[in-house]
Amino acid sequence: MGLLSILKKLRSNSERELRLLLLGLDNAGKTTILKQLASEDVTQVTPTAGFNIKSVLSNGFKLNVWDIGGQRKIRPYWRNYFENTDILIYVVDCSDHHRLEETSYELAELLQDEKLRGVPLLVYANKQDLASALPSSEVAQHLGLHLIRDRTWQIQACVATDGTGVKEGMEWVCKNMPIKK
Amino acid sequence: MTTEVLSPDQSKKDRVETILRGFQINWMNLRDADTGKILWQYNEDMSCPDVEHEARVPKRILKCRVVSREMNFTSVESMDKFRLEQKVLFKGRCLEEWFFDFGYVIARSTNTWQSILESAPESQMMPANVLNGNVVIETKFYDGDLLITTSRVRLFYV
Repeated sequence: MGLLSILKKLRSNSERELRLLLLGLDNAGKTTILKQLASEDVTQVTPTAGFNIKSVLSNGFKLNVWDIGGQRKIRPYWRNYFENTDILIYVVDCSDHHRLEETSYELAELLQDEKLRGVPLLVYANKQDLASALPSSEVAQHLGLHLIRDRTWQIQACVATDGTGVKEGMEWVCKNMPIKK
Repeated sequence: MTTEVLSPDQSKKDRVETILRGFQINWMNLRDADTGKILWQYNEDMSCPDVEHEARVPKRILKCRVVSREMNFTSVESMDKFRLEQKVLFKGRCLEEWFFDFGYVIARSTNTWQSILESAPESQMMPANVLNGNVVIETKFYDGDLLITTSRVRLFYV
């Protein structure tokens, strides 16, 4: 499923411009997921020192996907990109046990932000191909997803490097795009 | 002691110069967006406003159903309202226009913007020999109302 087909599925939404925001710690796999959606080579992904944006245009409808770098020094700038977000996608490296707490903390901060209030949340539980990866159910528990009451959410196990699960996550995105009038 | 007071015009001009000094387009490319394959890539700075750059693009790009244009840029200065206006001109006439609001740009950041669009149906597509040398991609970069630089790339289909 490419970005263009995602946009075509979303066209029933009355809004003409849609915005997906991709966040997560550094090395979680955000850029790789985005490249996977565009059928691009994912072997040469380097740390994002700013943002990567993909914008897709079809019949006057526009889909913008924002992938913001996850390094600690960049995280304070995330807030600058919250405005008008339709769906928040949060990516977790499930093999990075040491930073589970850190990623939970960052997600909790996002969920408390006024600008992201009510925005549906998709969590990609990435790197499921690694033997040390926690299953998505355990990651969900660590992140406290079951305590979320103010928005719809979903956790999707995935392997960004080969695309496993990425499409399923985007299908959820298409189904849960808020209808705006 | 005297304090130098800059006129609004002068301070705008200084601001543009400061941003421009630290602004660089690192690369641009064109892809077949169906396959993700790069058809053309240029690794030199195309933000220099005084030069019209030339791109030799393989003809087969005109057969692609979906094409992507991508650019990677670095800014030393932070910007609050970074935005861009991109036009595809044929003999100076605008065929296609794209506005994009980036908003905040982090100081000393490197960023990528990729736009993906469907091509005109093949029946409406002008042939390569007509387009050759007559198409210019013009990109204007702004911080709010301040025009920072204009990049012009003329396309040749080879």
